[in-house]
Amino acid sequence: MRAVIRRHLLVITAVLLGTLGGCATPPLADDRDAVADFNETDDPLEPTNRVIYAFNNGLDTVILRPAAQAYRFLIPPPVRGGIHNVLSNLATPVQLSNDMLEGKPRRAGDTTMRFVINTTVGVLGVFDLAKDWGYPDHDADFGMTLALWGLPSGPFLFLPVFGPSDPRDAVGLGVNVAMDPFTWVGQGAAVRALDWSRFAINGLDQRERRLDDIDSVKKTALDPYATFRSLYRQNRQAKIEDARNDRRATIPVWFPQLGTRDTVTYSPSTSPDY
Amino acid sequence: MPNRRTFLVLTAASLLPAAGRLVRPAPAQPVDGRASAFVKNIGDKLVAVVNGPESEREKRAKLTAIIDGAVDVDGVARFCLGRFWRNASGEQQQRYTELFHQVLVNNITSKLGEYRGVRFTMGRAQQRDDNMVVSTVVERPNNPPTNVDWIISNFAGDPKIIDVIAEGTSLRLTQRQDYASYLSHNNNNIDALINAMRQQVAQAG
Repeated sequence: MRAVIRRHLLVITAVLLGTLGGCATPPLADDRDAVADFNETDDPLEPTNRVIYAFNNGLDTVILRPAAQAYRFLIPPPVRGGIHNVLSNLATPVQLSNDMLEGKPRRAGDTTMRFVINTTVGVLGVFDLAKDWGYPDHDADFGMTLALWGLPSGPFLFLPVFGPSDPRDAVGLGVNVAMDPFTWVGQGAAVRALDWSRFAINGLDQRERRLDDIDSVKKTALDPYATFRSLYRQNRQAKIEDARNDRRATIPVWFPQLGTRDTVTYSPSTSPDY
Repeated sequence: MPNRRTFLVLTAASLLPAAGRLVRPAPAQPVDGRASAFVKNIGDKLVAVVNGPESEREKRAKLTAIIDGAVDVDGVARFCLGRFWRNASGEQQQRYTELFHQVLVNNITSKLGEYRGVRFTMGRAQQRDDNMVVSTVVERPNNPPTNVDWIISNFAGDPKIIDVIAEGTSLRLTQRQDYASYLSHNNNNIDALINAMRQQVAQAG
């Protein structure tokens, strides 16, 4: 319980910091190109966001990145893969709830089958057999759910520790924690320790999977902050469109299938110039 | 009697969708095939160079040749400068395009180590506006599999890659927003951008 409150506090502090902190100066109205750029960037809190980015970057450089490198060095790939699978299996309740809230029954079905197969035949989630048996993984979180309900993302936000976000995803982050049964079951030091271990290992796992890509952005971008901002938004948008375009119908397998699945993540809305 | 009628109706109903599928026109397979073959060919060449035994220098030369042949570098460069392309002088445009070319080659060659052991599988191809989108899954050691879409323009004649979409993120759009942000923090001065790119190239050696 205390863990929940503490994680919630982090998010709330982040939002407050954003609102109370510095704001970017909008360009003069007669410079039409500059105004268009400003609106497209949609980052009115950029000065504050950049401070938090610098803070996170420092934290990453001294703690998270070396830890993720050590994790990659010490743990052999198959074991890391198994750990990742177990973590993602433990996240099933949040994923399933959001599949249903999104109104995507076939995705909810995939998630359920994945849980059933991987928890049993896959030995408590260590092996992702469901993927090869026709139930691939997909993303679902409350930020995506809100997006599918029609809520706009709001301006860009950089959260302490959690990194790139926006008000919609920041709220989603809090709700995801509240949706997670592990947040509510059990009490006592042992459960709390397990809860935090899962949180920490999850952080290591996620950071390790992005080691090469983040290094590469920092090495090649002229403005890494702006590049991460762009990448985060495009990636989120693609996941949302992926869920939106998953229009598989709920008809039985023995009936001639009418629905086809459209999994193309490429969306013209994010790249207007094609 | 009613039972048999029900049975007939049900059978007819279940066959209808199948019948519908029979009369649907066949998709334009040849064009899809050509774009896919183009991407497969480039992908095979890239993988051969990345996993090959040559020295870094030789690999760089080979990669440059592949990029020159397959990517519309000038078009991508112009896209990445966005609205600033119009404001740039002819001489600035030329210097920028040359540097962009070198930066692109450097960015790709700097990933040689990370991509060693790379594999890819072909997905489907479909037309989007005037372009062809060819989906692939790229697998690098130590990294989760990545969905990569290749955007091919002019696929009927002389096909060129104009963008690469990795996990929903467009490489050229990301690059354009990086440059736009750099320019907006440097008084929209194109020479400042050109100098920064020159430094990047110099650092990469």
